Amino acid sequence: MTEYLSRHPVHVSAVTVLERVRGYGLLWHRAAEAKRRRLEAMRIAYLSGLGQVWPIDRPTAVVSGEIMAMLPDPPTPPRRSHQLAESRQERLARWRFDAIIAATALVAQMPLIHNAADFESIRSGIERSPERFPRLGPLELVRCTALV
Amino acid sequence: MSFDAHRDAKMYHMEKRERHSTPAKKRRTTLSLPAGSLSHAARITRARKVSLSTVIAEALSDGLQRHLAAERGEQILRAYKTAFAGLSDVEMSLVDGVILEPKARK
Repeated sequence: MTEYLSRHPVHVSAVTVLERVRGYGLLWHRAAEAKRRRLEAMRIAYLSGLGQVWPIDRPTAVVSGEIMAMLPDPPTPPRRSHQLAESRQERLARWRFDAIIAATALVAQMPLIHNAADFESIRSGIERSPERFPRLGPLELVRCTALV
Repeated sequence: MSFDAHRDAKMYHMEKRERHSTPAKKRRTTLSLPAGSLSHAARITRARKVSLSTVIAEALSDGLQRHLAAERGEQILRAYKTAFAGLSDVEMSLVDGVILEPKARK
């Protein structure tokens, strides 16, 4: 990963920043005072390591809408662990976020580093309907199981 | 989830051209270089009809850029380690955008 980062500048979708900051925020609200300080340091560290953040502009919005129309339902079920589960509503929201992230990479013509198999569905969907994505694609994916 | 850019390579070369178009301040110095590298540089000098200083300056500039990029990569990795280290699986899920709640009792 270090070598990859030394050769390629990392760019991030605004949606990824949103998801992560929301996660830190939720943890902060649930945490005791002592842990809150550590969480805030972690959030600041994350924000300090960001490269360029790509906004949801007009082309990204258009392509995101196309992806969502092509694949309205998440390709995998909500996540579950022993006593916890993701609601269907949250799963759908996460799927739509993923569509925006994929659209951002597609419009910017950048490979997408990801850790979720869901992006494979978007990639093959785009390949099956090239007429809906003129002059775009293929969506290049780089699977990365862990960032550090 | 992040994405990186080959497009940046283009931007980097554009910036590089701009950098090279304005004459940089120069300073004379003495260097000891490996003989092999120096012969290689001399061959490039003859082929491109430019001075040895130009060839060495370009090689040095490219090497320094790579060094800076590697440093930046290490900085990002350090920041990521601080940002994600010590989180439990459930906490990491939250930061990954997956919100897990206690299952409803039947």
